[in-house]
Amino acid sequence: MELPIRLSKESREPIYHQIEEQIKALIAGGQLPAGTPLPSIRVLSKELEISVITTRRAYQNLEYQGFIRTTQGKGTFVAEIEASKKEEVTVSAVYQAIEKAVETALRHDYTLEQIEAVFQEIIASLKEKGGHDDDGKMD
Amino acid sequence: MTMEKWIEINRLKKNVDDFQLGPIDLSFEASTITAVVGNNGAGKSTLLKVLMRLAAQNEGEIKVFGQLIDSEAEGWKKRIAYLPQTLVGCDSFNGNQLRELVSKWYPTWDQSLFEQLVEMYQIPLTKKYGKLSQGVQQKLNLALTLARDAEILILDEPTAHMDIPSKQLLLDVIVEWMERGEKLIIISSHQAEDIRKLADYVVVMKEGQLLGKFEKEELTSQYKQYWMEDSLPNEPIPGVIERKNERILVSKCAEETESYLASKQLKWLRAKNLEIEEIITYMLIGKAS
Repeated sequence: MELPIRLSKESREPIYHQIEEQIKALIAGGQLPAGTPLPSIRVLSKELEISVITTRRAYQNLEYQGFIRTTQGKGTFVAEIEASKKEEVTVSAVYQAIEKAVETALRHDYTLEQIEAVFQEIIASLKEKGGHDDDGKMD
Repeated sequence: MTMEKWIEINRLKKNVDDFQLGPIDLSFEASTITAVVGNNGAGKSTLLKVLMRLAAQNEGEIKVFGQLIDSEAEGWKKRIAYLPQTLVGCDSFNGNQLRELVSKWYPTWDQSLFEQLVEMYQIPLTKKYGKLSQGVQQKLNLALTLARDAEILILDEPTAHMDIPSKQLLLDVIVEWMERGEKLIIISSHQAEDIRKLADYVVVMKEGQLLGKFEKEELTSQYKQYWMEDSLPNEPIPGVIERKNERILVSKCAEETESYLASKQLKWLRAKNLEIEEIITYMLIGKAS
């Protein structure tokens, strides 16, 4: 199957790491349930226009961390993973996104106090719009 | 996953009139696809022909599956399928006759793959080769070459005359072919898409010389263009290969350039990685097109 992976070639984050993180997010978010077959290394490399060396590295890391498993002659599949591990991925994705936003502000010479104020403003305006229910999910 | 060297080229030299190829040291590993690129007359086809023993080298040696190819034993030849740019002496045969000739020679011939390709490309097998258009000739050659199902596939500009959908189809065919077992492909091509979608490694040749063999991301992650916030001082900057104006620069070694810029507190507004065809252009003519 085709994976909705989008690489940012501008990012300083290595390509193999971007693939790893995005596949983890798809697994943690339930879009790729356990047992889902993943594209072969060669097919994914063609789709993403990268070498098999890079794709293999991402798959090896994912396998090592228990997110996927490869069966000789059958292919690569999403592994059964615990709820706590999924939670871990989600939490780390949220932290990373916010960290990135803070870094952007710092690059534009914002102080930490100013950044805090921006955050509060954004959250206040979201609350006002009522776009969130109690458990924080978007409508 | 083995990374066994299936082809090894050592200190290879070949003279053709006043053109000199090499010296070239190069190897190709199992399970990889390598694109050979270079300007016209760089020696790509000559290199592939020497590799196929269609021309003899002046110096150096080539080993295929660990065996020197100028020895008497020619068993290695059946393990390589080679697609030349032009097929000579076939004009009076039709596709069926050519299939009969080729399939006898290759014990690994896969008739169903041949039929699949003929069907996919709608190749007429009863028409004489000489009467086919260049694009259809190329498709027939490909079907005859891929169906040999050899371990090594060497393609010399396979898509040069093909229409856009045929080129797209071939990309998938090649990917599927790679997964039939342990395989190795060397493809000489001027098509950026072949390189982007198929190549793991890129071999760059210029005027008979080998500029290098690079892992694709080794190139695409290092060549970058920067738009600077302010005009730059006129001193040399590590890694920089071109300054388009006082605020735009191009680097072939992003790490070196970025650490220098950071040390001088020079900030950039935006950085962009170059496309593989831009990188190759820099390597071959030293500047952007």
